[in-house]
Amino acid sequence: MSKISAEQIEDLCAGAAFLATGGGGDPYVSQLLAVRLLDEHGPATLMSVNDIPDDFTVLAIGMVGAPTVTLEQLPTLDESVKAFDAYQEYTGKQIDAVIPFEVGGGNSTIPLAVAAMRNVPCIDGDGMGRALPEAQMMTFPIYGAHPTPAVLTDSWGNSAVLHSNDALTFEKHIRAMAIAMGGMITSAEHCMDGALARRATVPGTISFAVSLGKLLRQHDGMIDAIEPQLYELFKKSDYGTIKKLYSGKVIDSKRQIVDGYDVGTATLQSFDNNLDPMTLLIKNEYLVASIGDKVVTSVPDLICIVEQETSRPLNAERMRYGQRVTVFGVGCTEHYRSPEALKVTSPRAFGFDIDHVPLSEIE
Amino acid sequence: MRIGIDVGGTHTDAVVMNGNDVLATFKALTSADVKTGIVESLDAVMARASLNAADITAVMIGTTQFTNAVIERRELSPTAIIRACLPTGTGIPPMCDWPEDIAAELGNNEYRVFGGHIFDGSEIHALDEDQIRQVAQDIQGKGIKAIAVAAAFSPMEHAHEFRIGEIVRELIPDANITLSHEIGRLGIIERENAALLNAALGDLATRVINSMSEALNERDLHCPFYISQNDGTLMAADFIARYPALTFASGPTNSLRGAAVLSGIDDAIVVDIGGTTSDVGVLAGGFPRESNSYVDVGGVRTNFRMPDIMAVGLGGGSLVNDDGSQIGPKSVGHRLVTEGLVFGGKQLTSTDIIVASGAQEVGNPEHVKHLSADLIETATQTIHRIVDDAIDKMRPSEEPVPIILVGGGSILITRNLSTASQLICPQHAEVANAVGAAIAPAGGEVESVVSYSKISREDAIAEATQEAEKKAIAAGADPDRLRVLDIEENPMSYMADNAVKLRVKVVGELVQGKLS
Repeated sequence: MSKISAEQIEDLCAGAAFLATGGGGDPYVSQLLAVRLLDEHGPATLMSVNDIPDDFTVLAIGMVGAPTVTLEQLPTLDESVKAFDAYQEYTGKQIDAVIPFEVGGGNSTIPLAVAAMRNVPCIDGDGMGRALPEAQMMTFPIYGAHPTPAVLTDSWGNSAVLHSNDALTFEKHIRAMAIAMGGMITSAEHCMDGALARRATVPGTISFAVSLGKLLRQHDGMIDAIEPQLYELFKKSDYGTIKKLYSGKVIDSKRQIVDGYDVGTATLQSFDNNLDPMTLLIKNEYLVASIGDKVVTSVPDLICIVEQETSRPLNAERMRYGQRVTVFGVGCTEHYRSPEALKVTSPRAFGFDIDHVPLSEIE
Repeated sequence: MRIGIDVGGTHTDAVVMNGNDVLATFKALTSADVKTGIVESLDAVMARASLNAADITAVMIGTTQFTNAVIERRELSPTAIIRACLPTGTGIPPMCDWPEDIAAELGNNEYRVFGGHIFDGSEIHALDEDQIRQVAQDIQGKGIKAIAVAAAFSPMEHAHEFRIGEIVRELIPDANITLSHEIGRLGIIERENAALLNAALGDLATRVINSMSEALNERDLHCPFYISQNDGTLMAADFIARYPALTFASGPTNSLRGAAVLSGIDDAIVVDIGGTTSDVGVLAGGFPRESNSYVDVGGVRTNFRMPDIMAVGLGGGSLVNDDGSQIGPKSVGHRLVTEGLVFGGKQLTSTDIIVASGAQEVGNPEHVKHLSADLIETATQTIHRIVDDAIDKMRPSEEPVPIILVGGGSILITRNLSTASQLICPQHAEVANAVGAAIAPAGGEVESVVSYSKISREDAIAEATQEAEKKAIAAGADPDRLRVLDIEENPMSYMADNAVKLRVKVVGELVQGKLS
């Protein structure tokens, strides 16, 4: 087992923003909170997925709601740990470890703070290996975990317990509760035994995000200069494939709200003009990237966009006309290559009339 | 007739303008004492234009003094912050991410109270007025006058910030209070930081405005005077004592706006070539395109409106390698006049190349006669390629755009640029900053979260526009000459009821002689 200290949180957040594929919200608020809690309570213990004992009880924890809300309504110090405590109290279970449900964005840091405060390990892995908008898209329910009972807490100290029949229903319920509870809540959910957690977790993503963020942050300059290191990092990870898809500037970005999601398209124009424009389809995250008519990456593979001059990952909500960006395609992890996973995460699950072709098979 | 003065870190520029015509210009090194420098500039331009004080209808001043005070951590007052957020928000205290040196200047005077709102406009918690009075007493006991007030979601619901301000003022009548919604956007950390910096600059602002007023009075200029803001608009000078932080980065903005007026072109790319770098900015409708992300001011994270500027390492002093294929980013900078070959120095610079090519006459051309034709040609191409590449990355579409060249290093551009539909080197480009200050309009901006399920998009935009117009008129704009400069809509993810972050900016020509 290794440790994650306050000093590594900024690296984690930069890496998590890259893996968030445009969604996941601005990680700055959760970064500040995690740095403070780890400073106060000491480093969090990180446990490898392979080391989870069979008889362990593992609880997923994170925030659900509109990232923009956290920009104004800042979290309380003990909000996440309250969800953890309330879960134990309500179910009578003793929780042995916590796990993030998504590594992408601010949710990578919440379980680390809880781990440090309650002296339990945080699992080095997550339920997405990226960011995705809905609960049923997580590897936990896909590989057999039941989302409920789930305990939800808000910033006022209110809490609620959900019992939902399946992951789709859970997603509907928790979305409604998030709005009713101020727009952003903490959820403790998807409780798993050790064996299930080992099977249903995308492994190693927290430590990977730290390494990735360290590379991006230490560089803080043109992305071109660190491409070889970036490729090496991804190729030896579970993501495996990484390709530079495009380099250009944003010439159009339109979005609107459809059923509570941020849906839209963005168009990029290449600098040397020898390529057709790139089109991005967005539903909170970047989901499909095409050059001309040809799809070059589609969900659940990752579309990661950075600002060219700073190598900083670019969130969809910050994308605008004239920005200069580099687009990378990254292969999804093994967990998303199964038929069960593709059924709930491929472009058709988002309503796009596009078949998913794995990035590694696209010319 | 207007006078525009730009007090920069190195130079002070001044112009007299009649409408968009430049009547006289003046450029000098910035004096240690601001008042003396302004008086000197006034005397010089008025003499050159043969004008009397009575001919001047307004004076516009751009200044970097407030930015520099933050960067250099000087002349900042001890400041208190009252944040209305409880029972939420305990996880992230005010100023928790500030560099220690500047945090120490303001002191540890942080208070959090019950209050603030949530995204749908309802209260996080009702204000506890007794609690606020206790906080105010504590601040009074410390003798602190500079106070920032921030409440959650205040850009869409101001009530709590207003009430806290009222209660504090009852106890501390001479308090210098900044309410965060008046100067910042959504994002409470950044907005609160902006309010803190603004409050901390209050005393300095009063002193600066007083010395500017004295300078004008000494020259019998009793017309109103205005200060330029970072979004290219003006505020009446008596506002600046309350909002000094809004001047951050007004220099590049004035340079871009000045370039627009001097060239008569509103949609263009402006390349400001100095000694070491070239700053490339975009003019859209006569105003700078703004940077969208957070902005670091002296290590403090804020969300002020700032122009989107890309700097590349090419200037008149940039060093040229042996075959001319690489130029910059290393530069002799202002030492060009002693170290460049044409000035008798030993360094091969971009300026030497242009002189050797015969396109410009600077220094002594004899000193560059030995340079080979190949080197000159390659280096000339490199210079133009660097500028072309930078423009290409900034231009809004693939279409060639008008390029406006300003700054001392603009002599480097001697050929056409492939990105340019036309290349303009306007007269008086060296004082573009002061011109930008002189011709700026007044503006007003409104940002709020609206639900398109509850109000139609058209009505929401109309309401926001009306609010922005009121603000612009309050800032000195002529009600008959207002126009909407920008409407920006950002949907809020995950929200079921079509919640959108809506921002509207309105600008208008100044009412002549109006002091708001």
